[in-house]
Amino acid sequence: MTQNPPARSTPASYRGVALCAPVSLGYAKQSPRGAAWFVGSALRAMLLSTGLEKSEIDGFSVSSFSLGADSTIALTQHFGLSPRWLEEAPFGGASGVIALRKAARAVQMGDADIVACIGGDAAAHRSFESSAAEFSNFTIDASFPYGAGGPNAAFSIITQDYMQRYGVTREDLGRLSVAQRYNANHFPLALLGHKTLSMQQYLNARPIAGPLHLFDCVMPCAGAEAFLVMSEERARYLKIPYCLILAADELHNSHREDDVQYRGGWTEFVPGMYEQAGLGPEDIDIVQTYDDYPAISLLQIEDMGFCAKGEGATFVRNTDLTFNGSGDQANKLPHNTSGGQLSVGQAGAAAGLLGIVESIRQLTDAALGQQVPNARTAMASGFGMINYDRGLCSAAVLLGRAQ
Amino acid sequence: MNRPSLRLRSKPPKARTPRGEDFTTANLAGALSMQQCAACERYNYPPREVCESCLNDVLIWRPADSRGRLLQAVDLHHSLWEFFKRRLKHKPWSIASVRLDAGPIVFAHLALELFDLAGASDIPSGRTVAVFSHSDCGNQSVLIAVPDSIDVADPKIRLQIANSLGITSAAQREATI
Repeated sequence: MTQNPPARSTPASYRGVALCAPVSLGYAKQSPRGAAWFVGSALRAMLLSTGLEKSEIDGFSVSSFSLGADSTIALTQHFGLSPRWLEEAPFGGASGVIALRKAARAVQMGDADIVACIGGDAAAHRSFESSAAEFSNFTIDASFPYGAGGPNAAFSIITQDYMQRYGVTREDLGRLSVAQRYNANHFPLALLGHKTLSMQQYLNARPIAGPLHLFDCVMPCAGAEAFLVMSEERARYLKIPYCLILAADELHNSHREDDVQYRGGWTEFVPGMYEQAGLGPEDIDIVQTYDDYPAISLLQIEDMGFCAKGEGATFVRNTDLTFNGSGDQANKLPHNTSGGQLSVGQAGAAAGLLGIVESIRQLTDAALGQQVPNARTAMASGFGMINYDRGLCSAAVLLGRAQ
Repeated sequence: MNRPSLRLRSKPPKARTPRGEDFTTANLAGALSMQQCAACERYNYPPREVCESCLNDVLIWRPADSRGRLLQAVDLHHSLWEFFKRRLKHKPWSIASVRLDAGPIVFAHLALELFDLAGASDIPSGRTVAVFSHSDCGNQSVLIAVPDSIDVADPKIRLQIANSLGITSAAQREATI
């Protein structure tokens, strides 16, 4: 008798896992401090907000591009931590979801009780140039020597291709940047939050690469984003406000055959996430996409099912993306409620935690001035690692308010 | 290490990985050379240690077909590197991504003036182009995309195009007070 191969498995439920203690801090365009300051300060802020002792943190996950000679283990000595579970997830925009999924499994399986997931990155004078020049071996040999545009060059090609393929205009992309700036105007940590942005300013900005102009590009900066992962039972006992993981998944280097990237791995796994959560896109109250460039947010909005492929521009034309529904459109979907990286700044790999941390704040009524009323669910997606010509990582997590 | 430089004569990025150095060496003679897998015959690029398709580690530098299909061409108005910053002061720097008939996707400097169009984005995607390699003034081989009507088998023509792009000479610091 022949046996069939085992079917491809799907992620087990994340039931019983709580996310809490959201922290964002240290945002600065330039800073003399090292990455350990950002990671350590985020850890201290989480201990202060929860009343936990440092010794109670037994799982430690760090996402950073600027640790230099250090790794997560070096930081345990720096901070005087004795964790029994270690992780390092320096995967750019997907860092948050990747760290969260592993931490959640560690908590479910008893490998750790309280995991600190921390993204922290420094921004020394001119450090961005060297990190762009040496991002990966393929970058060094085959992309950086061609104009040294950094990620802007690859994304100008992706953006131009997307605009031509689906008839998208700069104004369509600008709607995202303008709505996010409005959200950032109400989020005190956003580095560009003190400035307003009009569509006219967006369209008149100086050109950077291909169709990309200044307000299509994120500002590299220093900063930290962090949260704790523990069992729901423990969070309740400790009386720490928390939210739940309804589903999460990831897929990397997918659609390898596409000449130019116009979709990500979300097309393959997000339907399964909705199925596991028993929800659909229409049930999502808040979306946090990884907005390194507006066109990339449109890819995520499409691939996660908020509209059909190629209809992202129509969707943002007809949808009010502000946190408080102050826009003209009847259809409302609060998007990147803290302003996203386009207005907060891109703090290296910590930026990959930004959407999750903001979602935890929103679902525990702890937003820093831009609370979405009555939000029960949030989708946060991650995208990242421009190794050569495209972003390799796709990840997403669906979060729900605690019952 | 790739680092920005403010010296009088600035050059394109020189740093390469060991396999990137192999690319430069293999391309000193001929129009275009890439790693071909000894097992599955796939052409691989960017330079790598094992074949992307079958993971075989015998990759042989062989001449590759120069022809390809333009995916997108863009003008850069901003660079992180001093050489290009100096070149950009006068006009945008044009680059292209190309799907070679040999298989790989490459980034290349774009010889925009040979296309007789105002901007790189005016070149329709899908247009047939030719891609060849040439040494830049940092002594590394880099790729250049041109219309497919250009005879890239002729080394004199290749040199002339590389010279006209400005990659074979250092970018001088402009006089300041």
